[in-house]
Amino acid sequence: MASRVALKTKSKGAKGGAKPADERSAVKCLKEWSTWTVKKAKVITHYGFIPMVIIIGMSSEPKPSISQLLSPI
Amino acid sequence: MATLVPPATNPPPPPSPDSKPAEPEKVDYMDLPCPIPYEEIHRESFMSLKPELFEGLRFDFTKGLNQRFSLSHSVFMGPTEVPSQSAEVIKIPTAHYEFGANFIDPKMMLFGRILTDGRLNARVKCDLSENLTLKANAQLTNEPHMSHGMANFDYKGSDFRTQLQLGNGALFGASYIQSVTPHLALGGEVFWAGQHRKSGIGYAARYNTDKMVATGQVASTGMVALSYVQKVSEKVSLASDFMYNYMSRDVTASLGYDYILRQCRLRGKIDSNGCTAAFLEERLNMGLNFILSAE
Repeated sequence: MASRVALKTKSKGAKGGAKPADERSAVKCLKEWSTWTVKKAKVITHYGFIPMVIIIGMSSEPKPSISQLLSPI
Repeated sequence: MATLVPPATNPPPPPSPDSKPAEPEKVDYMDLPCPIPYEEIHRESFMSLKPELFEGLRFDFTKGLNQRFSLSHSVFMGPTEVPSQSAEVIKIPTAHYEFGANFIDPKMMLFGRILTDGRLNARVKCDLSENLTLKANAQLTNEPHMSHGMANFDYKGSDFRTQLQLGNGALFGASYIQSVTPHLALGGEVFWAGQHRKSGIGYAARYNTDKMVATGQVASTGMVALSYVQKVSEKVSLASDFMYNYMSRDVTASLGYDYILRQCRLRGKIDSNGCTAAFLEERLNMGLNFILSAE
């Protein structure tokens, strides 16, 4: 009987340990994924913001020409 | 037979347009003006007392391609301060070229500046709806952990404004300002910085009439700032500012003036730290501005 009780508590302990481990890895996954997203977004913004503004500006009415974009006067 | 009818109770006649302006008007508390945004509460005093002082030579050239789109080229040569451990301030002469693109639309404004060392300074302002505005600004560098970004959501009501701020490094802030009478606006803000484990709460009040603006701000970080700006005439305004930090017992008072003349704008200030500054902007020609700054 003592061994059965011991077995029961062991299985309960194992189940109880598995659930928080799952949750912890889910939270860790979410953190890693959000950190990866923020890093990629920073690189994209750093390189792409000014080209994006130029593209939006060149496509607004009245459309300026490429020579106007590149010439210094 | 004409009968005398007692005159019905007439509503009082509306004030004639040439009535004396000194007549106190009945205040309609349901129709108060929208207050200015919380972060601009010291706007008038900052315009007089804190012009963009710089050291060195700066040359800015803005080329407009369109009504809304323009490019800007800017060259700066001068000493910049380098943070150092010793008490002395170290200044290193630097020179850089900055390229920028601006797109200004009634609904959306995009502003980007990139320097030769790879730093990007970007600002976006977008009207998501009639009352809700999104403003974001970011300073991105190639060095790790030195980039900052912040986004603000502003909601403008009929006589109040609220703002929610989110920044990197778990920075959260919220502020609210409400017009209480046609001249007085009161507001408060809270912020929480996760990385530095700091949080704070602050209150501000602003009283303005046509001739003067008085503002006061208290924050739990220990800062008390009071300012008073008097518009002496159309062209001249005088400002004074008092800043007190009750944690570090640091006091600064400054007095300044602002002359707005036809061709130029002259601003000067003197500080209780013994610091005097002057700033002159002059329009030499169409599209050419000349700026002198001294501190």
